[in-house]
Amino acid sequence: MKPNWENSPAAENYSIEELIITVLADQFRNDDQATNGMGSFIPVAAFMLARMTHAPDLIWLAGTVGLEPRPKRIPASTLEAPLWKDSIMYIEQYGDAWHLLFSNRWIEKFCVGAAQLDQYGNANNSVIGSDYHAPKVRLPGTAGLADLCSLGKKLYYWNLNHSPRSLVEKVDFISGAGYLDGDDARDRLGLANGPQLVITNLAVMDFHPDNKRMRLKSVHPGVSVEQVQTATGFELLLPDGEVPETLRPSEAQVKLIRENIDPDEMRNK
Amino acid sequence: MQEKLTTIEEAIAKVANGHIVALQTMATVASPMALVRELIRQQKRELGLVVLVGGIPVDWLAAAGVINRLIGAAVTMEQFGLCQQYRQAVEQGRIRVEEISESVLNARLGAGARNLPFLPTRGAIGTDLMKENPDNMKLLEDPFGGLPVIACRALVPDVALIHAHRADRYGNIQYEPTALWPDLGIMPKAAKQVIVSVEEIVDTEVLRRNPDRTVLPGFMVDAVVEIPYGAHPTSFYPNYGYDSAFHRQWTSVSRDNDKTADFIESYINTPANQQEYLEAIGGESVLNHIANWEQEE
Repeated sequence: MKPNWENSPAAENYSIEELIITVLADQFRNDDQATNGMGSFIPVAAFMLARMTHAPDLIWLAGTVGLEPRPKRIPASTLEAPLWKDSIMYIEQYGDAWHLLFSNRWIEKFCVGAAQLDQYGNANNSVIGSDYHAPKVRLPGTAGLADLCSLGKKLYYWNLNHSPRSLVEKVDFISGAGYLDGDDARDRLGLANGPQLVITNLAVMDFHPDNKRMRLKSVHPGVSVEQVQTATGFELLLPDGEVPETLRPSEAQVKLIRENIDPDEMRNK
Repeated sequence: MQEKLTTIEEAIAKVANGHIVALQTMATVASPMALVRELIRQQKRELGLVVLVGGIPVDWLAAAGVINRLIGAAVTMEQFGLCQQYRQAVEQGRIRVEEISESVLNARLGAGARNLPFLPTRGAIGTDLMKENPDNMKLLEDPFGGLPVIACRALVPDVALIHAHRADRYGNIQYEPTALWPDLGIMPKAAKQVIVSVEEIVDTEVLRRNPDRTVLPGFMVDAVVEIPYGAHPTSFYPNYGYDSAFHRQWTSVSRDNDKTADFIESYINTPANQQEYLEAIGGESVLNHIANWEQEE
């Protein structure tokens, strides 16, 4: 059944997770390919939503393993077999999958979470603290993030806890290269694309096209620019003119997320 | 063909203190857990561990003081959270981490497997991973005039530990059609020795029916042991899913060193064999539960 999602009014009742899911879903087009890593309930919901609405042909490679799967709903893990149920093909993760990931033709966009993200979009999932070999906190590690960031992909960061601890002036460790120290630093290493958007529980940010500093793009309904700035560990650039409000999810989008895509509410875990 | 079938004790006796051990694993997927427990039971020390993304086996090895270094891309149990014993050991400097990205690990092991000094990648350029690892990652100009790459030094583990669906007694290893993890494609081919646990030992005639499912030839394998449910509590599809309750039981004790020691005593040191281990973790009702993973999800 094709949902009637076009012309659906903006929802009054939606969660921040649902808002982030709809903003992420909007970034994927019908001719894109998408893949997800572990703990990626929000991106997976976004892909599924995009496929049910504006991008029915969006290709999804679940967990970088299962092509075009048909999970009935989002399971408890985004890196276990229930997610890639009824796939057309299994791609050998890290053998063959990297042939696709390294290419500049396929899988152009990634959704990523990071423990720390700085004003130039550099990401840290490795260590908190200055001593790499005796860190204050040992984080999980870069996994494939370091690769994706340097392989010319477009990166979309989501962050449910916009705070000066997660959005910092300078990351303690660069596990994923953003715009490094800004301006043309990324270009000079021959790295294409890079961070595009940062979508948090308060706002959407992008990056200034020249100096590559993080810039406020829109604030979520009910959130002020001051609130966002106070919750950020560095000075955010502002867009020209008034800061727009982030588009609310539509009623149809919220209904799809709650009833069809993620009835078990994995997005809130 | 040479006989490779042996006992788990003899198989793991091939691992010497100080060895670099490459472990098949993902956050909660397909780890040779019985082999890992045997490393702990035999009180191996100062092992280096190579993992793509390691979960509960890394935490157990850290808790038991078996490993003092780790080469890998990430350590996490995904939905069950960070590996607290591992994390504590790293923060206290008892485990030294050489963090590399997935493509760098792929290149390092690929070079090891192909007897090359290095293989290049363009992943990880510009990160601090390079800065912390100058011995194994070096920026290299493209001799053909293109963009620079990272040369990733060959990595040759002393031993690779694998879990698979079935094998014959000569060590020919088969995998059911399921998601194939890298550990299987490249890692064992880089290692000097390969030790495999399998769900079942079958007659070679069974393998001949589906040669396309054979992933490692017997001549590459040094020891094979039969361990049903040998990947528990990680998932091993299509046979069984991961054991959520057991993972949660571990995370409920792993922040407390005394409770952790009790857990290791109860589930790792005390059970004399796989049968006793399977009884300890809940026996048939738990095994039926994880075997019905498709219904559960």
